[in-house]
Amino acid sequence: MVLEGDVGAGLIAIGAGLAVGLTGLGTGMAEKDIGAAAVGAITEDLSLFGKAMIFMVLPETIVIFGLVIAILGIFVM
Amino acid sequence: MFRRSGKEGNYAYTVARVKAKKSLLLGEEDYNKMLLMSVPEISRYISESSYQKEMAEYAGKVSGIDLVERATYASMAKVFSSILMASQGELRNLVSAYLNKWDIWNLKVILRGKSFGLDAESIREDLVPAGSLSADDLEKLIVLDSHEDIIAAFGKMEGVNVDEAIDLYKNEGNLGAVEDFLDKYHYASLLGSVKPSSRPAKMFQDFVRMEIDVKNVKVILKLKAEGIFGEPVMKYYIPGGKQVDVKYATMLANSETIADAANDLSHLEFYDVIKDAVEADNVSLRDVVTLMKRYELAQANKLSHMYPLSMIPVVDYMIHKEIEVKNIRTIARGIESGLDREIIKGLLVI
Repeated sequence: MVLEGDVGAGLIAIGAGLAVGLTGLGTGMAEKDIGAAAVGAITEDLSLFGKAMIFMVLPETIVIFGLVIAILGIFVM
Repeated sequence: MFRRSGKEGNYAYTVARVKAKKSLLLGEEDYNKMLLMSVPEISRYISESSYQKEMAEYAGKVSGIDLVERATYASMAKVFSSILMASQGELRNLVSAYLNKWDIWNLKVILRGKSFGLDAESIREDLVPAGSLSADDLEKLIVLDSHEDIIAAFGKMEGVNVDEAIDLYKNEGNLGAVEDFLDKYHYASLLGSVKPSSRPAKMFQDFVRMEIDVKNVKVILKLKAEGIFGEPVMKYYIPGGKQVDVKYATMLANSETIADAANDLSHLEFYDVIKDAVEADNVSLRDVVTLMKRYELAQANKLSHMYPLSMIPVVDYMIHKEIEVKNIRTIARGIESGLDREIIKGLLVI
């Protein structure tokens, strides 16, 4: 089988995709229960919205790490 | 890993809701304030807390102590129903099985009310429609005349075979036997609904079994205080307890007085909690029972922190809410009947 084009660039693109995709899944899994709990708490007491929001977005850091790796892969490597 | 929480139970959502509700419960300071108030002042005080809607709802219909009693029960029923509505999947089944005790309570209230010839309105006052039977279902039971019809209709609504209860009623001619049957049925069905496949489920099962132990010990001690011991006590025994099996219960039942039973009671897991009250010179049953209730509360509280994503925080809240309602009613009733404030405080579970 003959591979056409730059194989390295293709592999970097796959790596970047995996980095964002897998960390996105991780974030989703982490946010599943936090989100449910946050909505539950806000339902009872609306003043908890701010605190709930902070806890809700904490797992977003995981996907940001993935995004950073992807950007490093594409633009630096 | 990717399982949907709908089938497993939405623990995170429901537990967050009950934790938020728990933070709004009254504390010792509130009870101390209420002890210094009159009944109308208590009404006003609880109107400013989570009982606001119910107090407003009943304020036009009843007043005084009746207002406090009806509003607190209505609030409890509403809160428990909202938890049941919020829960899903396995959690919903567990909550529903736990709340079944209020169906049993309501049936007992209706049967007792009918046997004392109370009118429908008086019976309604003590109903707590927090279980699977709605207020409409309970209305259908209230309009029935004979005890047999009420028990049969209840069995049909709940999908339970109540032939044994009807036979018991026919043979014994009193409601006591039926009530014992209902209590045993409740705990048997509750234990049957818990599948101890996971650690939190096992902990919940253990908690229910501990609750059965506490209930059995309470009944044995109460009967002893009335001078009843030995074989007659065993017909009230509820099977399924963690530590108090038939053999141990028989041993406890055979001692003539509470003081005589102290040695046998010392094998109990929670003996340290009741030790001082049991070994006191003048054993006060009230103190022993209160201490056991506090132990139950402390256990629920401890386990709810150990297993936050389980049924236990929900049960913990339900027990605390029920105790809050009982405390408010005790204070209001005590003040209404002119009891000394220190005595009323001793009756509270804080």
